[in-house]
Amino acid sequence: MDQIAPAPSQSRKRDDPAKIRLVGAGKTFQVRGTELEALKPVDLGVGGEEFVALVGPSGCGKSTILNLVAGLLAPSAGQVLYDGEPVTGPNRRVGYLTQKDTLLPWRSTADNIRISLELKCRATPRAEATDRVAQMMELVGLRGFEHHYPAELSGGMRKRAALARTLIYEPETLLMDEPFGALDAQLKLLMLDQLQRLTRHRRMTVLFVTHDLGEAITLADRIVVVSARPGRIRAVHEVRLPRPRDVFTIRFSEDFARQHERLWDELKDDIIKGTDV
Amino acid sequence: MSTPSQQAQSGARDSVVGWQVALGVALLIGWEIAGRAGAARWVSEPSKIAVKLWIWLGGPLYVHLAATVTELVTGFAIGASLGALAGMMLGRSPVAAAVLRPVIVGLYSVPLVALAPLFIMFFGLGYLPKIVLVGIVTFFLLFFNTFSGAQRIDEDLVHSMEIMGAGRWEIFRKLVAPGCAVWIAGGIKTALPYALVATVTGELLATRAGLGLLLSQAAEQFDMTSIYAVLLLLMVIGLLLSEAANRIEQRVLRWRQAAE
Amino acid sequence: MAEQAGSVASLAFPGSRSGETPLARALTTPQGRIGARILLVAILLLAWEFAPVGKGTGFWLSKPSLVAGTIWQWILDGTLRVHLQATLAVMAEGYVTGCLAGIGIGIVLGLVPRLHRVVSPFLAGFYAMPKIALAPLFIILLGVGDLSKVALVAITVFFLVVTNTIEGVRDVDRDLVRSLTLMGATRVEVIRKVVVRSALPWIFTGMRIAVRYAFTNTLLAELIAANRGLGFLIEFNSGNFNITGAYAGIAVLVLCSVLLTELLSRLEARVSRWRG
Repeated sequence: MDQIAPAPSQSRKRDDPAKIRLVGAGKTFQVRGTELEALKPVDLGVGGEEFVALVGPSGCGKSTILNLVAGLLAPSAGQVLYDGEPVTGPNRRVGYLTQKDTLLPWRSTADNIRISLELKCRATPRAEATDRVAQMMELVGLRGFEHHYPAELSGGMRKRAALARTLIYEPETLLMDEPFGALDAQLKLLMLDQLQRLTRHRRMTVLFVTHDLGEAITLADRIVVVSARPGRIRAVHEVRLPRPRDVFTIRFSEDFARQHERLWDELKDDIIKGTDV
Repeated sequence: MSTPSQQAQSGARDSVVGWQVALGVALLIGWEIAGRAGAARWVSEPSKIAVKLWIWLGGPLYVHLAATVTELVTGFAIGASLGALAGMMLGRSPVAAAVLRPVIVGLYSVPLVALAPLFIMFFGLGYLPKIVLVGIVTFFLLFFNTFSGAQRIDEDLVHSMEIMGAGRWEIFRKLVAPGCAVWIAGGIKTALPYALVATVTGELLATRAGLGLLLSQAAEQFDMTSIYAVLLLLMVIGLLLSEAANRIEQRVLRWRQAAE
Repeated sequence: MAEQAGSVASLAFPGSRSGETPLARALTTPQGRIGARILLVAILLLAWEFAPVGKGTGFWLSKPSLVAGTIWQWILDGTLRVHLQATLAVMAEGYVTGCLAGIGIGIVLGLVPRLHRVVSPFLAGFYAMPKIALAPLFIILLGVGDLSKVALVAITVFFLVVTNTIEGVRDVDRDLVRSLTLMGATRVEVIRKVVVRSALPWIFTGMRIAVRYAFTNTLLAELIAANRGLGFLIEFNSGNFNITGAYAGIAVLVLCSVLLTELLSRLEARVSRWRG
């Protein structure tokens, strides 16, 4: 099933050329002299304003795909295109929320979230920046923690601070690597709701890595199933659930259950194989 | 409001302070008695030292104090800022790191203070040889520390800044510099006492003014009172410097203490 | 286990894209690095040797060949041996004395916290004082011979070792002490078997740092007043404006420091293996 996935039929702008396109892009690492193939050459297209979830067992190269799109890794085979242009260095048009929260330990939470607005490329007047930071802190539920340092926050709070820091500058494309893994179930739903609202409202393209099928079905237009290492694309599913979706109740709907079952069938071999690696 | 245990604690502290004062007074009295009993040509007497300090503070001391402080502060300021800057820049360059590492490890252990005679030969008896000596000693200590700090900066943080659109200079100012601050503070803490040693060594060898000159002149005349007086002054300067270093470190480490 | 590929990625990145210059690539191999270092040193030495100098600057610069010749001369006529021996003797005597005093007094102060608290401001004062300033005093009190230099080195070493020993003793697991006391161990036995043993890593750390300070202070003491020793060699040649001799002395100094560091790290590797 390794093929260029067609843009989904209910894509909001169907004749848009793909925002992100991997053309036979693969990655092999040199680890102490031996070659380690992390990602077999894959083809994948993500349309503008599309929400694509990558699911698969751990270590299957999902993060590698994100790193390729973010321009942090150069593909060892094939090409990665963004807006039709090859990615050759850190891709400044995406927002990248890595698995590890990359907050600056010496900055308070508010100052961490503010940092992108201090940069020359989007210099923002102080008052406006302060307003937006306050809005963002409210949005991710961190009000009252403005002056806390990252080390004083819990893992989940740090994740949310990192999310706020990425969302505040409204990148046109969002790359997210298991952003909600560390959150408790309740909070996770709240965050999923906010994420859906924001990305739709700001018409963002999203590439979202998760190993939680429910999360993927709740949010995504399309789900790309990646198999265990070396990673390759095993299947692409369209999620035919109407938008906007109610993240709190959708998991109880029949459609959801059907999609979940189908995906689980697709994935379970890999997941079982992946866990004893 | 203080709980009983806090009261007990402060009580214990009071008694410690009491003992400290008692010990200090006992030492001074013992010293004074020893001096008056005939050992004065070796140990002087605290009362004479106090009088000597009093006279010095009335005027003659300042030219020497000024010389020592000027050499120390100028040399340290130049050496520390250049060292930190060089450390941050070279620490971020993989090429420099690969080539320089063994040089750094090797040079780190060389007692650069021993270069004092060389600089006196080069630059004469004024402030300059001491400033250069202090500067070089400080430079390397700061450089070593900052260099390893800059190398330890998390690449992931650099990438996240790059993707956010930060330029080289912005990454340097917002990530590398604050990331190195802890290491720079550590370097300052190590380097300040060394800088004082370098100043005093330079002055002991050859100089026109400074506490070191007072010390070597006193030694030539077997003037024990002056020797002890200078030692006392140097002790005070040393304590002030270590206090300053602690303050700097605490300021820089605020975010780390918050975590604990 | 989460996404090993991600962590490998961050490892693989620096060579893979940002530093894609041939030089950077050459430096990723050990041979390339060593080659680059040798090249760097060779270039510096050659530049020094053949630097275009006028009459005035030539005197101050000397030449590596002259410096090497001087060192060779010192080796042949035994100068080097005499001075190194003197330095080593002072350093070793001062070091051992300082360590013994530091460990002994440190254990006592560590075991009697009240006493430690009372004397700690006095210790802090002496700790902060530049020890080299004591040199003139020691020369008057103990004479210009080795004894004054040994005393200076010893006092420097003492302050480093005593601080670490106190920390180490205070770090001892109180429960361990209590359980051994319950087993019927006497106070001396507890101190020997538990306190000293578990403070050892701290003591070793202090002793390791102290080696370098001992070396530095030996040299400084020799700069100020001596008729032999490596420090004297540097001071004597500088004082007589024998530039080549001064550089030769410094070259020997650098070599000795590097050797000392190497020796220490070997020793430390062995000790840490024994320590487990």
